[in-house]
Amino acid sequence: MAASPGGFAGKVLRVDLSTGKISTQDTIERYGDFLGGTGLGYQVLWEEVPSGTGPFDAANKLVFATGALAGTGVPCNGRTAVTTIFPTCWPKPLVASGHMGGQFAAKLKYAGYDALIIEGRAEKPVWLFIRDAQVQLRDAAHLWGAGIRRTSLEISQEMGASCVVAAIGQAGEKLAPMAIVANSLSHSAGGVGGVMGSKNLKAVGVQGGGAVRIAGDKGEWEKLIKFHLSILGGNNQHVVPSFPTPQSEYYNPGSRWVGEPGRRWGAAQPPIEITGNIYDLNRIAYRTNSAAFFLGDGAWQHTVRGNGCTACPIRCHTILKVPAVAAKYGIREIAQNTCVGLMFGRGFFKKLPGGMKGQAALEACMVGMHLADDLGLWCNYGQLQRDLQKLFYDGLLKAKLGSAEYASIPWDKYVAGDPAFLFDILPRIGQRRGELGQVLSQGTSGLFSQWSIPEETWTQGHDTLYWKMGHPKHHANEDDGQCGVIINTQYNRDAQCHSHTNFVRNGLPLNVQKRLAAEIWGSPDSVDGVGDYTPMNPHKARRARWSLVRKELHDSLGLCNWMGPWVASPLKSRGYSGDDSLESRFYSLATGRKIDREGLDRIGERIFTLHRALTIRDMGQLDMRLQHDRVPDWVFEDPSGASPFSKGTIRMDRADMAKAMDMFYKVMGWDTTTGAPTQETYSRLGLTEVGQSLKARKLLPGDAA
Amino acid sequence: MTGEDKARLTQAAVEVVLQASREGRLTTEDDVFQALVAEGLFHPAEGGGDSDGARRTPTEEEAAAALAGILAGHPWLASFEGLSGQRVYHSPDLLSLTYARILDRKGSPLLLMAEEIRANSRDYPRPVPVELFEAPPFDLTPAEIEHTLGIMAADPQYQDISFTPTSTGAVYLFSTLHLERGYAQFLAQRAESLAMNP
Ligand code: SF4
Repeated sequence: MAASPGGFAGKVLRVDLSTGKISTQDTIERYGDFLGGTGLGYQVLWEEVPSGTGPFDAANKLVFATGALAGTGVPCNGRTAVTTIFPTCWPKPLVASGHMGGQFAAKLKYAGYDALIIEGRAEKPVWLFIRDAQVQLRDAAHLWGAGIRRTSLEISQEMGASCVVAAIGQAGEKLAPMAIVANSLSHSAGGVGGVMGSKNLKAVGVQGGGAVRIAGDKGEWEKLIKFHLSILGGNNQHVVPSFPTPQSEYYNPGSRWVGEPGRRWGAAQPPIEITGNIYDLNRIAYRTNSAAFFLGDGAWQHTVRGNGCTACPIRCHTILKVPAVAAKYGIREIAQNTCVGLMFGRGFFKKLPGGMKGQAALEACMVGMHLADDLGLWCNYGQLQRDLQKLFYDGLLKAKLGSAEYASIPWDKYVAGDPAFLFDILPRIGQRRGELGQVLSQGTSGLFSQWSIPEETWTQGHDTLYWKMGHPKHHANEDDGQCGVIINTQYNRDAQCHSHTNFVRNGLPLNVQKRLAAEIWGSPDSVDGVGDYTPMNPHKARRARWSLVRKELHDSLGLCNWMGPWVASPLKSRGYSGDDSLESRFYSLATGRKIDREGLDRIGERIFTLHRALTIRDMGQLDMRLQHDRVPDWVFEDPSGASPFSKGTIRMDRADMAKAMDMFYKVMGWDTTTGAPTQETYSRLGLTEVGQSLKARKLLPGDAA
Repeated sequence: MTGEDKARLTQAAVEVVLQASREGRLTTEDDVFQALVAEGLFHPAEGGGDSDGARRTPTEEEAAAALAGILAGHPWLASFEGLSGQRVYHSPDLLSLTYARILDRKGSPLLLMAEEIRANSRDYPRPVPVELFEAPPFDLTPAEIEHTLGIMAADPQYQDISFTPTSTGAVYLFSTLHLERGYAQFLAQRAESLAMNP
């Protein structure tokens, strides 16, 4: 097998847990058309997992796939997409992926693999040992029942300190749909832990002694990395700081760029004060402090440092040290995470003494991370917490749950905002104890299927933020009007797309955003001020398409879509513009396969379209517009009765959204009646056979049964 | 003054402004002049022969006459009329206009707050949390902020400055010249929700 000239490690590792067979395939030859990551995952599912396969069936496959840029020096790389038939997707499990950062992707590549495909089911618990070419299934009996931390520690002791362990906790072992797999302590992929558990696979330990080659000119490569660093902002590519600086004309008090000279990582030993020029490339890691952003300035004194994925200077997983929680709750004083993982515990409470940024909130976060990241419990982007709130405060829980079980739960602590409540509720869910644990561990779908709560109760409630198919909204109309709504209709779980929101939340004034939008998407009208939405236009449809295509590209290249794309920058000298061709320039240099922006975007579109095809096939449904691309009722209502397009509402207009979907389908080359890609589109994207296969099933527009 | 003298004067004068901008300071023409005097750049006009008896330029008078034109015309520099009524200079690449304006207004909490609130309402558009003014580079105390808001409430020139509370108990300030109250309320509530909407 020829060595990859660069970017790709060169091989895909396949492990059949039923037979113990371990084999490899050539990445480029076999999967090169889909890059890696989600692209590779969708391809495997399309080719090898029959329609109708359940998430916990042995026939389901679990594809851990990185991409050509993972493990290189490209900033914000290190992402692994874990693609499978997704267990929280309701009413029928369909394809989706969880995404984890950390060091797993890089280590897998250094071991020589771009992806790991897990097949079948082991007879008894095993863990997978990967040390370069040495790959073995090892007994995991002694680890079964352990949490993620102990599992990772024991495997690390066995393999040596340079390994990375991706493990499941008790939630995954018990086949909870709401389970994660996590590596490097806090980097988790949601929803896939139970699939791993169903295969009796406790963990994957990876050690790699190799490197990722760069095919292109080293000087050019270094130059491009420096350039990329120069256009980075803070977390989520917020390109202006939260405070005025001499270097920028702009600032935004809502920016995630909160680090500035004078701030201190107070729990570092010794404490570190931020000094110097925060725009300096060697100061990027000081800009982001997720804990301070989400929990307020008080978090600075508890900050040890930032942690993050390979080669990422953003380091959005903040490490916190709170000695008070060790004394009060008997848990570790240190925890780390970002975003919903950081706020896992806080999110359960409607109210906390001292507010959502007070001491109780901090403690709830610490307890939540301690429990959830060890049990391996997922929150479905905060939906778990919102579901419990609605169930409890609307009286649904009392009505549904047996009185003895209801009475056994310390609701007084819940109502009082006592973080100690989490010691009862999280193990209950993570270990699937009792009826409540069973139901909530299934995700929102459990409420619909087990308790017969009509889905409309959730789609109509403004507080649920529920979208469809068992999952919540993920940066929808509250951030980005029609563009956000379109994006949220497309996936079989929450959309996880940040391409659009990273731009609209970047902190630049609206007129600067509009100027950049005109350059990137052809019209200033492709972007609106938040809550000041204008009727749909084709430019917004183009931006929605671009956002989805870039999301898939990032997920397939091993890049972080929580940061990219990088089309705006902090650089006044560039008029605050970024670079829309960065991904293709990196890919060309890394792999030696020269491709321009349009060419790479076409591959991204191919990947996204294959996801659509898989969804159509497995739903057995051509009418995606009606059956899949649904929008919840709350989007079309305003609690105070404001009309759509009036200033200060995120309410959308039904007729306008119908037009928006028409325009989106049109720019995608999809049939506007059904929202399904046409054969012409499949062929244009190199998916002719996919289209033909759907035609044979009467799932191509014009061929309805 | 010879062409060479003018070039020397320009270079020295610009460097004074650049250095001040690097250090986060604004500069007036007078500041520049004094700095150049301190550097010994000029020669006295009267009886001004140096030790070799030759008279050299620029003299202080010549420099003073040329300085305003030099500073105003230089592509690296920008200026605006400061609160003191004097023209202040800065290098926008090193010290942004936004930041320079804040520095200039630091002597007047009233203008500092009002103009910043107006600019935010006009440009982004958004209301700003009242705590913004406690942090650098504003550095006002809560008492100063309260006092200033009290003056604004009574002064006809500041009747556009208004506030909106949020459900989280925060207070946001905005200018009715640029933001409708309802929209300001929406934006304030949204700003507060960002830490709950990752
Ligand atoms: S921004 Fe955060 S999640 Fe993304 S690559 Fe960096 S550290 Fe990882």
